[in-house]
Amino acid sequence: MNETHPSLERIVDYLHGELPPAEDAAIHAHLAACPECDGKRSDELAITEALRAYASATERDLPPGLATKIRSTAVQTQTGTWQRFFEGLRPIVMVPAAAVVALAIYIGYNSWHRAAAPTPIQAAYYVNNHAAMAASAPFGDAAPPITLTSDDATR
Amino acid sequence: MEQQAFLERAIEQYGKATYNFAYRLTGNDADASDLTQEAFIRVFRAWQSFKPGTSFLSWIYRIVTNLYRDELRRRKSRFYQEEMPERAVAPIEEYVEGHLSEPVSKALADLAPEHRKIVLLADVEGCSYQEIGQIVGCSVGTVRSRLHRARGQLRKLVNRYMKSSS
Repeated sequence: MNETHPSLERIVDYLHGELPPAEDAAIHAHLAACPECDGKRSDELAITEALRAYASATERDLPPGLATKIRSTAVQTQTGTWQRFFEGLRPIVMVPAAAVVALAIYIGYNSWHRAAAPTPIQAAYYVNNHAAMAASAPFGDAAPPITLTSDDATR
Repeated sequence: MEQQAFLERAIEQYGKATYNFAYRLTGNDADASDLTQEAFIRVFRAWQSFKPGTSFLSWIYRIVTNLYRDELRRRKSRFYQEEMPERAVAPIEEYVEGHLSEPVSKALADLAPEHRKIVLLADVEGCSYQEIGQIVGCSVGTVRSRLHRARGQLRKLVNRYMKSSS
């Protein structure tokens, strides 16, 4: 019949109300009918009761001043925490913020003072004009010796 | 301020319970006060992460157990570096050992911190295995096995201290 007896661990779990309902009911019924297991239950219960008795006998109030000390330390901690938060945050926030501001200034300045669109240089006009002037005054001071590639190609 | 009001309410409703839990873990007033203070400061800082409808006690007990674990680790490493003790026991444990005389408290003090936490949460605070798992940061299976092991040790230790005192 030994194998039908619950283990000591099961009895402890039973005392702590940690068994599933079916097992709890089975052990409850077994304990009512088995003085040996009920004795073990009593021994375990005695340990729990001794622990509770010890706990209630040694129960204390909060030491005087402890609550005040906790409050004041908490307030100091709060200040310190915010300070630490901002100190820690400063390089993280300030560097990107400075970069964003610089970029905004740059973009804003450019959009307000946008330079006029560059006038396209009509290179062919100047070349032709120059060639015509050189032809009309071939001995003028301003007339450099000109050799046009296009002219060379037509010769 | 809402944050301040949250802290006020937390201290008022759970200050004593938190301090007592810390006291049972550490076994002395100075460490319990430090743990309680630090736990409430963390609550204050993270007050917005608290979800209404969940257990505040579970949350603050979790903070206390984590702080206690960190403190033990810190003290152990400092203790080994500075004093090289013959016994591998942290000062806080020695303090508990030296100041508590009742068999139960002495037996509790002899338990490993991980086991003591679970026994206190299960048997004194009446937390479920699931809550303990959330507080301590382990699975329900681990809570179950640690609790059984802790209770086994506690049983032996209480018997030993009761015999030696009688």
